[in-house]
Amino acid sequence: MGFNGIKFDTSVPGMVPWEIVTAYFIIGLIIVFYFSRRFGLKSFTTIDLVYIAVGAAFSVVWEFYIGSFIGRFLPSTPFIGVGFWGRMFILLIVAALVRKPGTGILSLVIFNILSDLFFYGFGGEPMYTIYEGLTYGLFLDLLIIGTRGKLFGVGYKSSNGSSVATKRITGLAILEGIIIGILYAIPDPIFYLGFFRPLISGAIVNWATIQFDLLAFIPGDVIIGILGALAGQRIARAVGQ
Amino acid sequence: MNSLVDQIVSWIIVLYGSALPALFVIFLVGITGLKEITRYESGTTFLYRLNPVTKLILTIVVMVVASTTIWWIGGILTLALLLSYLTLNEGTRKFGYAFFLALSTIIGGTWSVAPYTPPSVLQLAFPNVKQFTVIWTFPSYFQVMGYEQQLTLQALFYGLQTAFRVTPVLLSALLFIVTTTGSDIFRMFTKIKIPIAVTFSVLVGIRMIPRIFELLDTSVKMQFIRGLGYGKPKPIASLLIVYAIFQAIVPTMVYLFRGAKNLAISADTRGFRAYNSRTSLVELKFTKVDIYGFTIIVLLIILAVVANLTGFGRTIPYFGL
Repeated sequence: MGFNGIKFDTSVPGMVPWEIVTAYFIIGLIIVFYFSRRFGLKSFTTIDLVYIAVGAAFSVVWEFYIGSFIGRFLPSTPFIGVGFWGRMFILLIVAALVRKPGTGILSLVIFNILSDLFFYGFGGEPMYTIYEGLTYGLFLDLLIIGTRGKLFGVGYKSSNGSSVATKRITGLAILEGIIIGILYAIPDPIFYLGFFRPLISGAIVNWATIQFDLLAFIPGDVIIGILGALAGQRIARAVGQ
Repeated sequence: MNSLVDQIVSWIIVLYGSALPALFVIFLVGITGLKEITRYESGTTFLYRLNPVTKLILTIVVMVVASTTIWWIGGILTLALLLSYLTLNEGTRKFGYAFFLALSTIIGGTWSVAPYTPPSVLQLAFPNVKQFTVIWTFPSYFQVMGYEQQLTLQALFYGLQTAFRVTPVLLSALLFIVTTTGSDIFRMFTKIKIPIAVTFSVLVGIRMIPRIFELLDTSVKMQFIRGLGYGKPKPIASLLIVYAIFQAIVPTMVYLFRGAKNLAISADTRGFRAYNSRTSLVELKFTKVDIYGFTIIVLLIILAVVANLTGFGRTIPYFGL
């Protein structure tokens, strides 16, 4: 049985049980519905939408045209992911500019539609959009909600209203960058290697690889998380927020 | 001595597979070429007159056919799609860019699969081959990069087959983009009831992609004008383009984000999002041309069905895609 290039195989040995994956995405959806009722698409101004669109377009340019070719010069190991890093970096900058709940998910949805238009041709959709939106996008949104819209210290003020020392804001950005870096290392090994790849192509699940990849993704993602957070902070200032 | 030669040849093989596609794109397509094959230009030929919905269905059908049939059907589709670039405005030039992009995708695609495919997968892919033909044995430390120790002819063939699944999809997706106006894409999305905020962002994104290439190109050229690579030997100076692209990213982004304000103001002053739906003078119509379009779609579907019935279906397990 299959649908739009997705073949379903739920009985590969070692695969994450589909019940757990479904439960995760249902919980993710509930969170999204709860917050979208509270905030909704209406909270985005036109300029936010343009920021998100520019970020998504830049991610497509990076991931499919520039980064993918630069990546070929580097050894292929789980420690290095030029294409993904570029997308993550750009996403963090957009998040620093918009700082509204939903930015992450909307950015990834737009990125997915654009990458389908320019590259993939809608194969395997809507599965990948849901997967990326409710993992990478949701993590970023939860961080935005957690920081109450003061992501990476942009617009952060101390309780008495005075602006806070640069050192503290930089520290905040670095801390949030580390958190997002660690979070971003999780979905690909667990969900993609452990579930979607065996689901679609019956690939063999190897938990040693999954564990190794998970650990190997962390250092690079954390570094890009920190760089993205700091760059986001600066670009938000340069663009005049 | 022998082992030194081994090392050098191994690295040349690695660089051939990885650098050649990149060099194709950097020097033969270039940033200008990428801009050209991601941007709409008006035209009057068949592909321009097709309804965007038809073109979208065509893209999806090409993907389905390429992924469910044997590799050489993907190869024929690639050829047919490439040739259809000739019917576009400035067709020969676009064909040239698309050709090198496709070639680069094929070589790069082959190379991103072949050296990593373990013999166990190859045995599934080629059940009738008793002994794999070993072309080259890599030094053992190559395993750090995930390479299999031996590169076999079958692995290369397997890589090529997987590459022919990707290339037609890429070509048809770009064909859709070069021949469809932004507003038609907007109407198409409105027709399939996607929220206006999402549609707007997608549309701005589509318009931005060629613009990004243009800005990157300007920024890279500026850096060379300012003396990047001056006095350095030519091969090094020309490879500095990669460095220049890295340098260009943040300024380009800041420039685009600043411009975003103007775009937002201009959309807002025209009453954008004042209503939930968008008013439009132009209706998307299905015309006579679309009958031909749908005929092609139906023929492609029949081709896929016939191929599967006659044993030319996807017989290869495409692991790792």
